[in-house]
Amino acid sequence: MSSISAQGVVERASAELSKRINGLGLRGSKHHHAATSAKTSVMERVTNVFCGGGGSNAAAATAATLGAPEKPSRLLPQKPGMQKPGSAPSSIAPSYRKQRQLPIYLSWDELMIDEKFLTMFFYYFSPCERCVLARVCIRWRDVLYKSPRFWSGLVPVLQCREMRGCHTTERTRLYSSVLRRGFHSLRLVSASDEDAIDLVNTFPLAAKHVHSLSLRCSSITDRGLETLLDHLQALYELELAGCNEITEAGLWACLSPRIVSLTLTDCINVADEAVGAVAQLLPALYEFSLQAYHVTDAALGYFSPKQSHTLNVLRLHSCWEITNHGVVNIVHSLPNLTVLSLSGCSKITDDGVELIAENLQKLRSLDLSWCPRITDAALEYIACDLNQLEELVLDRCVHITDIGIGYISTMLSLQSLYLRWCSQIRDFGLQHLCGMRNLQILSLAGCPLLTSSGLSSLIQLRHMRELELTNCPGASRELFDYLREHLPRCLVIE
Amino acid sequence: MPNIKLQSSDGETFEVDVEIAKCSVTIKTMLEDLGMDDEEEEVVPLPNVNSAILRKVIHWATYHKDDPPPPEDDENKEKRTDDISSWDADFLKVDQGTLFELILAANYLDIKGLLDVTCKTVANMIKGKAPEEIRKTFNIKNDFTASEEEQVRKENEWCEEK
Repeated sequence: MSSISAQGVVERASAELSKRINGLGLRGSKHHHAATSAKTSVMERVTNVFCGGGGSNAAAATAATLGAPEKPSRLLPQKPGMQKPGSAPSSIAPSYRKQRQLPIYLSWDELMIDEKFLTMFFYYFSPCERCVLARVCIRWRDVLYKSPRFWSGLVPVLQCREMRGCHTTERTRLYSSVLRRGFHSLRLVSASDEDAIDLVNTFPLAAKHVHSLSLRCSSITDRGLETLLDHLQALYELELAGCNEITEAGLWACLSPRIVSLTLTDCINVADEAVGAVAQLLPALYEFSLQAYHVTDAALGYFSPKQSHTLNVLRLHSCWEITNHGVVNIVHSLPNLTVLSLSGCSKITDDGVELIAENLQKLRSLDLSWCPRITDAALEYIACDLNQLEELVLDRCVHITDIGIGYISTMLSLQSLYLRWCSQIRDFGLQHLCGMRNLQILSLAGCPLLTSSGLSSLIQLRHMRELELTNCPGASRELFDYLREHLPRCLVIE
Repeated sequence: MPNIKLQSSDGETFEVDVEIAKCSVTIKTMLEDLGMDDEEEEVVPLPNVNSAILRKVIHWATYHKDDPPPPEDDENKEKRTDDISSWDADFLKVDQGTLFELILAANYLDIKGLLDVTCKTVANMIKGKAPEEIRKTFNIKNDFTASEEEQVRKENEWCEEK
């Protein structure tokens, strides 16, 4: 029953990092906690561990920046220059001064540079919106750059084609702004081997600080990738998307055992051999996402016994060759999966789903979207056996009917259900859904047969946080108003 | 309910229920430091708030006097700005100068709820605007050099959601 949890993975990654950074050979002890949430990314978890006080120097430094306590209060003047004679405290009564210091009145111009106010104010913006705010003036930039909290959820992108035209000092400044904002991730777009080598030369601190690297639409070859990964000694999350020069031999040459999260998408040379390299070289792999048209069933049997414990998250997107035989290999080699996506693996049938339901009982999230052969029978298997399932995605499973929805509605643990473009669902199916008291997220986008009155019954789902009804002909203006009135805490998406 | 008197910068006196006045942490602190035991009528001077703004603040505080205390914010989380109640939205249908003065007053008087809703309103005003428009709205000087401005543009335009 013991599953190696996110915590375990994180501790391994952290230990691995401190080993690299400090040259210490300490290893984190194995822990067997229950996985907290299957949806949090590895990166976030590792960051959390760091912020909670990891073992390494780097981690301690990060924790110091992130966990810095707030300044006591605005009762204390922050800048001597702001304390004007004749401002509140002195003018009321002399006795006040002896006891507690009262706030200092700030004029508008003072407020606009007051760090405490600005820090509070910037929380009303999303990370993307803050990118604009940082460009307003030096003070705003500095207040924003100081707190890595303002930048979480974003990744700095290096547009390599444009960067080639820049002077080296400009590139160096760009890298230092990456570090200043506390980023540990980096995305390279249109990177060539030269760009990779330039990064290695002009960004030496990346070796320590870049934990997550993504290469997109890049002509980088095996040589460039190897140079880059040799340099990034703290890397544990890697994404290659649209890198058509990378070969399977290249992956064999450069994948490092530090990596706990790997995504390979739309790289033309990636097929079974690449999965072989991943299986052999990444014993600590926790999360693996693969989108490759040519991967076959056989490749899914390559995973090593070590990975059967560590690998929790497997996403196979549009792996068109995969059949139920591939599913047999998955359930045998990776019995501890908590998140599985077979989105777009269109050869999977109900028999494959039966295997999953019988053998992968730790699953918390299952994505079978764009698997058009799936019918109500598959949903019966899921409802019977997957007692811990919290998220189920069935978008474009066009054979599903109200009967299948009836099976699903018995699943007490289910919190998120996606039924986009399941074109056979009718109001009767909705009646079943209304009994699912724990449901928090529901999408019925593009379901053509649902009527206004059927949809109005959804107000019974009191715990709903998000309801998506895009492209539902039955969703009228009046219906949206009615739903919003009765589900005030729910985000209703039109 | 005992009342106290608040005096605005232009000398006007407002008689307010003590409990309502105490939604301002600043006034609360003042009263505690004074000691409210003695029966004598206290006048609390507020030399930075004019009568028009003080009247608005008292209006707001009176309407919200029975509000439950605001939940402790999760410091690290982005705050919503689309959840302004319709009463507050109507209350804040004022010219920009008044809105800014309300922020200053809420900040000085330390009235969390009023500061929150006025900040939300101002945040909504500048969302989606370019840096230059934000500077204009807030009367902020662009103190970047041309090359710094180009640098900070790159640093921030080249950021994407994960």
